[in-house]
Amino acid sequence: MRSIKSVLRAAISAALALVAAAALQAAPPRFGGTLRVKLRSSRISLDPREWTPGSLNSSDSRKIASLVYDRLVTLNDYGQFQPALATEWTHDATFKTWHFKLRAGVHFSDGSALTPALAAAALQSTSGKNFEIAATEAGLTIHSLQPAPDILEQLASGNDFIFRAQLDGKLLGTGPFLVAEAVPEAPAEANPLATKPARIKLLANENCWAGRPFVDVVEVTLGEPALRQLLDLQVNRAEIAEITPDLVRKGREEGLRIWNSAPLVLVALRFDDALAAPASDSLHEALWLAIDRDTMANVLLQRQAQLAAALLPQWLTGYAFLFESPMNLPRAKELRASFPAGVAGAEQALRLHVDAPGDLFKLMGERVAVNARQANLLVQVAGVGSANNTAAPSDGLHLFAWHYDSLSPRTELETLLRQMPDGSDLGANAADPEQLFAQERRLLEEHRILPLVVLPEYVGLRANVHNWNGSPWGDWRLADVWLEAEDTSSGKAAGSTQKENMPARTPGANQ
Amino acid sequence: MTFRTKVFLIFLITVLASVSLVAYGVTHYTQRAFEQMDAQRTQALEVQFKKEFEQRGEMVVQQVENIANAEVTLRMVLDLSRPNADASLYLHDANGAAQSHGLDFVEFVNSDGTLISSAQYPARVGYKNDWVTASKSWDSTGAFLKREELPDGVALSLTAVRTQTVGDKTIYIIGGRRLDKNFLATLELPPGMRALLYSNLDSSFNAISLTDANGPVSQGESFESLIEQIQKHPQDTTKTISWNNDPASAEAFHATPLKGRSGELLGVLLLGSSARELVLLQREILKIAAVVALAAIFIGLLVSWWVSRRITRPVEELADAARDVASGRWDTKIDVRGGDEIGQLAHAFNEMTGTLAAQKEKLVQTERVAAWRELARRLAHELRNPLFPLQITVENLQRARQLGPQQFQEVFSEATATLKAELSNLNTIVGRFSDFSKMPTPEFSKVSVNETLRDAIRLFEPQFTAVGKPPITTEYFLNESLPEIEADPDLLHKAFQNLVLNALDAMPAGGTLSLRSSDAGEIVRVEVSDTGKGLTPEECSRLFTPYYTTKQQGTGLGLAIVQSVVSDHHGTISVSSEEGHGTTFRIELPKRQSDAALKPKKDAPPTEPLSERAATASD
Repeated sequence: MRSIKSVLRAAISAALALVAAAALQAAPPRFGGTLRVKLRSSRISLDPREWTPGSLNSSDSRKIASLVYDRLVTLNDYGQFQPALATEWTHDATFKTWHFKLRAGVHFSDGSALTPALAAAALQSTSGKNFEIAATEAGLTIHSLQPAPDILEQLASGNDFIFRAQLDGKLLGTGPFLVAEAVPEAPAEANPLATKPARIKLLANENCWAGRPFVDVVEVTLGEPALRQLLDLQVNRAEIAEITPDLVRKGREEGLRIWNSAPLVLVALRFDDALAAPASDSLHEALWLAIDRDTMANVLLQRQAQLAAALLPQWLTGYAFLFESPMNLPRAKELRASFPAGVAGAEQALRLHVDAPGDLFKLMGERVAVNARQANLLVQVAGVGSANNTAAPSDGLHLFAWHYDSLSPRTELETLLRQMPDGSDLGANAADPEQLFAQERRLLEEHRILPLVVLPEYVGLRANVHNWNGSPWGDWRLADVWLEAEDTSSGKAAGSTQKENMPARTPGANQ
Repeated sequence: MTFRTKVFLIFLITVLASVSLVAYGVTHYTQRAFEQMDAQRTQALEVQFKKEFEQRGEMVVQQVENIANAEVTLRMVLDLSRPNADASLYLHDANGAAQSHGLDFVEFVNSDGTLISSAQYPARVGYKNDWVTASKSWDSTGAFLKREELPDGVALSLTAVRTQTVGDKTIYIIGGRRLDKNFLATLELPPGMRALLYSNLDSSFNAISLTDANGPVSQGESFESLIEQIQKHPQDTTKTISWNNDPASAEAFHATPLKGRSGELLGVLLLGSSARELVLLQREILKIAAVVALAAIFIGLLVSWWVSRRITRPVEELADAARDVASGRWDTKIDVRGGDEIGQLAHAFNEMTGTLAAQKEKLVQTERVAAWRELARRLAHELRNPLFPLQITVENLQRARQLGPQQFQEVFSEATATLKAELSNLNTIVGRFSDFSKMPTPEFSKVSVNETLRDAIRLFEPQFTAVGKPPITTEYFLNESLPEIEADPDLLHKAFQNLVLNALDAMPAGGTLSLRSSDAGEIVRVEVSDTGKGLTPEECSRLFTPYYTTKQQGTGLGLAIVQSVVSDHHGTISVSSEEGHGTTFRIELPKRQSDAALKPKKDAPPTEPLSERAATASD
């Protein structure tokens, strides 16, 4: 009896605790506060026309730009396209011509109205020559030379933001935030040899068509090293920070909230040599077989990466699992033994240029060199490059990081190949998954690009960050985030401005 | 070369030799002192390096032990001892340990030799390090040199290994510090010395691997031969390297091989000592020596001039005095200064000239007496010849008084004729002596020597071919281009005439008379030779003495007159003769007479004493 009471009492206590917790969880969103975001990129651009496809820098730029600009359509977590600046869309039977109806009553941050002509001009400047975009009375028409059934995926990702260029070159958007201040890198007063990181300050757009964002200010600090960002999270100097894969385990051990996207960054090797086949084929294949991706992913990257056998990730194509990346050191040695004299990698070292920034990529480059040495291949790490994935001018082997920007596999693969030195082209009708698979397999069998691993993006979140709803493909959706008040004892949210009468921002609201 | 020059040169050479000797000695001993000092400094620096090396090794050992005994390491060993342990968790532990313990290299190696974590080369995790599991005595092993593989190359490391065991699980902790320019910077180098370290980590010489406290050494390729020598024979070696043509740039390097655990050559310590100070000091010494030499030369010039003057002045005075004596001033005296050798010499010279003057006076008096005796004898002889017939004639006249008048008249006539003849003869003899005493002063005019000679010969030509006499042949070897000379034609003719007459007298049995004239620059040479019986040397020496003759009928004045004429013409006469082969008289006359000689007779100086002429002629 006594034990039944005890059990009952414990059950009631537990229920009360659950109710209290649920009540706390269900606390209403809070307006106000400054969201401090730390990024590793030392310089970003808010002009989509300047972004380099696949680059890590452009990826960061895109994250911030998505706070200022809107797209025609968006994709929700269920894979459904949601109206944004376009409220309706239709296409013809061939998927070559698409009609979009523009949302009415949308204004740029300076109060000027969004017109079909401005929207068409913005899209035309970012989409290039693949599309002919024309403004109509109520919207715009996009005409493609090739069938473009994936145009919604393209418009929901990549660089296709709607903006208006002012006479002074600055861009205005219709997004939830507007740029209040952009401070470039500058020498520090205390130490002129060091530089103060660049900062971008965004203010909430009170008149945003989708509703006011919860936070008043987003303050983005650029050029913060990975370990520093981790510390900033721990000492309450940041709400959101990027976490490198090698620090994820450490961050979790220390109790940080860490969110990760789907694998978004491909780390791969690219040959830019001018060797004639079959010598180059043997070298490429020998290196392909010599690389120990398992140790790379599980040890160097601390199990925070996935082995990559394909160029596009599984979540994007659905067929990546069909590719294999077997390690076969004896076969690699055999191939090495068959090298003719004078081949780079045999008598003279093949220079490996690490085109991606940071120690992690350098470490991976060194691991490639160590693996290659096991197969008697001479590979020497030559240097660490920038975050941009433009093909380095020097010949040899390049380790590069490619950020998947597009939700369209065809567009992504096409863009990836276009950035390669030989500028390969997919050809027509590659939108068909089978044809796309065949094209990718052909590319992989040539061994000119050797995928190593794919990395998710990791974001560290402070405990006061609520309603984080990052998308698997890397959108942060900061407009939905609200911050919990820091100082509860005074009953006042530090630095916050409570807007009682403001409607809660509902992503995708189009009414 | 004068005595003064010799004295000066000797003094100068002595000074220079002394300065050079001193400079050489100082330079040599300085060099030796520097070499000894260099050797001591190099040795001290080598000891300092070894001491620093040992201290750093002990420090590395201590730090590695600290890592091995750290709690985090114990926890790692404990975790890894569990089944299916995840070694990847410790990927960055080596880096943390290296940073916290101040080591350049830290690695954790699993009991099977697999690399768990590496601070310096994390990309190598998962690979085996079999060398570390081969030894079981790491905990008692000190630090050692090791070739450290790095992503961007290789490095030289002072390494220690320790183990940590929990249960059956053992982890190897390898820690090390880079042996590079920072290590060299800890050495306190004496001025002029530097320490270099060559990391022998490549298969062949690599200049980049040579570093000093500031980084890679410039002109490192100059060490290639030295390093290769050490690579072949790993032992202490010394070599001097010159960086350019300036000897001051040279450096002597003492190379010491640095070996690893297995005795492999991993590095070379090079202790360089610059020759700059030595060379500069040597240059300074040579500069000072040069200045001293110059000063010594200058002072030597003055001193040697003074000394040589002091030494040679009496000698020169002596020489001048001797020259005066040679020119006839036998009573020459020089000042006697001091009692040294030169003074004694001067004193002896004065004694000698005194003696000579006395003897000369004595000789002159003797000769004068002899000359008077000879003159008296000759006069007596000359006068006796006519006097004897006079005496006979007078006695005949006395005896003729007893004869008849006719006979007396005949005798008387004959006697008076004889008397007249003999008196005439006496008169001639007296006149001849009178002529000699009144030799005229020459009156110079342009004279052809050849013509004068021919005129003299022409007078005697009838005698050459006289009947009843042996013939005498004349031969002429006259230089027809001979210029006219300034001479008194009559005296010259007389002189030549006497020579020819003398030659004729010398050839009573006939022979050949040779006449020769030649141009000898400023003088004209005339030779008159006969093929007579010749003269003895003693006769030759007295030939020009007045009244000396070798003939029965001669007055002994002929050749004296010749000698007198030649002397008045400022010429010389000499004779050469060989018994049985004839005699040659050689006269040398100046082509031009001095202005003083051309003055009128009244101004002419008195003729030389006969004895002096004879001396000149006999030279």
